[in-house]
Amino acid sequence: MKKHRSKNDCASPGKDQVSELLILPDGQILVHNLTPAFAGLLHELNPDDEHISSRVTRHMSPHL
Amino acid sequence: MICTVQERRPPARREEVGVQSRDVRDCSGGTPKRELQRAGPDQPSLGSFGAAGTGAPRSVLARERARIARAMLADCRFCAHDCRVNRLAGENGLCHAGSEVRFFSAQTEVSDELELTPAFNVALSGCDLRCDFCITGASSWNPRAGAGFDARAMAKQAKVALEGGARTIQLLGGEPTVHLPAALEFVSWLPETARLVWKTNAYGSATARELLDGMFDVWLADFKFGNDACAQRLAKVPDYVRIVQENLLWAAEHSELIVRHLLMPGHVECCWQPVAEWLAENLPGVKVNLRSGFWPAWQAARHPELRRTVSGPESARAVDLAQSLGLNLVP
Repeated sequence: MKKHRSKNDCASPGKDQVSELLILPDGQILVHNLTPAFAGLLHELNPDDEHISSRVTRHMSPHL
Repeated sequence: MICTVQERRPPARREEVGVQSRDVRDCSGGTPKRELQRAGPDQPSLGSFGAAGTGAPRSVLARERARIARAMLADCRFCAHDCRVNRLAGENGLCHAGSEVRFFSAQTEVSDELELTPAFNVALSGCDLRCDFCITGASSWNPRAGAGFDARAMAKQAKVALEGGARTIQLLGGEPTVHLPAALEFVSWLPETARLVWKTNAYGSATARELLDGMFDVWLADFKFGNDACAQRLAKVPDYVRIVQENLLWAAEHSELIVRHLLMPGHVECCWQPVAEWLAENLPGVKVNLRSGFWPAWQAARHPELRRTVSGPESARAVDLAQSLGLNLVP
């Protein structure tokens, strides 16, 4: 299992947004602290994943 | 991972349910401690500050309660550990939190319950539980992690998030109960119309509940363990089940309630099943979010069964159980 952060190596209260991923050997991806931007990215990678598509927000301000 | 919405059932008939009060026992050997969940004669009455009947705006009540809560740091009884330490004088209880408040994350997220997202989530550092599998363990266990929390500045950030499309503002941790004065001050700076979510481990005290009454629209409460042995072994928390059940019953009467259960590998029968059965019997119709995205974080490897994720069959069994009990699962 590989663990990735989308930004920093530690949770940060700074301006960077942080999501955490755990990629399982079978290709399944678990996500913690999913931000709208990262949901959008995951949705682009796999538009058929209904778990992610239900969480994609198109009306959010881009700076959030 | 994300369960479908089940048929809703009527609200709970709460006059038929109840939780027996009894002595709380500490971790070391069952020594009876003072009863935590019922206000005793030496506890301040907060009745005059209750939201009901006062007609005062939430922000006004929150400011007043924040002042009261801050004074209570001198004899901290916010959670069921009932440490009664003077945090204003630098003493620390089991959560190790003093009077300073810090946060380790503040951002808009879409990973919570769909009806709450996008949510502007503010995670305060420090917690009164010691879950070895905590996904934010480094920050949750350490009240000195992150950056200093300025309630007014954070409220401004939250307002920007609301204007940008966030539906709710969620205060979490760690455990926000540990920082009740700051949490209430934060509420006092937020718009009256903002939908506020209190994300909690439901291990707070009756005093904390009174201070929180009417402050948050939704209680998003964890029910992690189905028995006290697992709670003690995995989170070092005594008398867990009774206290959580009491808080859930209270929350269901005083706000909207969503109960979360993080399915843990190897804990379907010992933890999820009793939780599910209790919810079905005592809070029928309550929204339940069964989460199967456990991953072996922090110190989970100390426990052999927690060194893996939840298997497909385990997840399926858990959902089957929920459906057979008629639980109102929400995504």
